[in-house]
Amino acid sequence: MYRGREGQWAFYLHRISGIGILVFLILHVLNIASAMWGPEVSNAFMKFYHQPVFQLGLLVLIAGVLYHGFNGLRIILMDFTAWGVRYQRQLWYAVWVLFVVFYLPFLLKIGGGILGGSHGD
Amino acid sequence: MQVTLKILRFDPAKDKKPHWETYQVEAEPWDRVLDLLHKVKWYQDGSLAFRRSCGHGICGSDAMLINGRNRLACKTLVKDLGSVITVEPIRGLPVEKDLIVDMEPFFAAYRAVKPYLINDEPPPQRERLQSPEERARFDQGTKCILCASCTTSCPVFWVNGTYIGPAAIVQAHRFIFDSRDRGKRERFKALASGSGVWRCRTAYNCTEACPREIPVTQLIEEVKREILFDHF
Ligand code: HEM
Ligand code: SF4
Ligand code: FES
Repeated sequence: MYRGREGQWAFYLHRISGIGILVFLILHVLNIASAMWGPEVSNAFMKFYHQPVFQLGLLVLIAGVLYHGFNGLRIILMDFTAWGVRYQRQLWYAVWVLFVVFYLPFLLKIGGGILGGSHGD
Repeated sequence: MQVTLKILRFDPAKDKKPHWETYQVEAEPWDRVLDLLHKVKWYQDGSLAFRRSCGHGICGSDAMLINGRNRLACKTLVKDLGSVITVEPIRGLPVEKDLIVDMEPFFAAYRAVKPYLINDEPPPQRERLQSPEERARFDQGTKCILCASCTTSCPVFWVNGTYIGPAAIVQAHRFIFDSRDRGKRERFKALASGSGVWRCRTAYNCTEACPREIPVTQLIEEVKREILFDHF
């Protein structure tokens, strides 16, 4: 493994989260589109996605969206300001601060739900 | 001190794929990795192949992947690495033998940005004058020694060898921002193409690898903006 620093991991995570969100979006559209085959099919999909493991998936998805969004703003600053590149490392740490602040409520609500045995309904 | 030197070796005449060989070398802390390679080649195994010329960080021929990072063997001291040192050829270019890679794709990218002054206006009586500020604008790129540390540290280049790479963009920057140059649009043909600057994903490995301390990513971003705002 090449021993890159913050920038390398920021990029790898941005791509992984971007592709992750894209996969979710495709599944999500398929799920909704399943209504075209009638209520039985649609309900079967719904039931399938109501399994507890998908609550965990939801937590992963939210983490992906938050990281991708905040790091996306970091990339925009690097691309369009004269100083962004110079402070890219600090900006990346700011991304993680924002990430934790915005992720905590989801973690408590959904994570608490998982531990309490709820399925998110 | 005793150094364990692990080298990724490959002999096209008998190997199918590269393999690690380990050497025990007696070294001083202020020895350079290049000195260790010499000790192996001169006293232990003469078949070891690597490039070097100046030995003083200026010819750019001995970029290697040392302890997981691209560096010049002649500019890297043993005391900064510890007693276990790994040396591999730089990535993304075809390995010819041991630490020697085929640099031709790298230099093809270099040629593609036309790394020379382009100006077909009639020459003035004397020099094409330039203010100190105009000269400073492209100073950083002039320090490049074409060692390929940056290009071969780039994750995009490892996966997509057609990417023109940071070194070529640094060289292009040196001329694009030269007040005497008129060849910007010609260079943009390569730089704005599908294998040009837009492949860059700002992973910063290039900036950290550059032995000349050129802010490579900064220069790439400046070239991107120059292309983007060219027609405004
Ligand atoms: C919150 C809003 C979003 C922002 C601010 C954002 C920002 C960005 C930026 C700036 C890039 C360019 C990366 C680069 O040049 O290095 C990017 C790439 C990408 N985005 Fe997003 N994005 C967002 C939402 C999404 C969504 C919803 C998806 C999926 C459907 C997505 C999927 C991707 C993918 C696959 C890439 C390519 C990754 C790469 O080339 O490494 N993004 N995003
Ligand atoms: S920019 Fe730096 S790392 Fe890249 S080729 Fe030039 S000197 Fe080497
Ligand atoms: S031998 Fe010339 S740069 Fe290292």
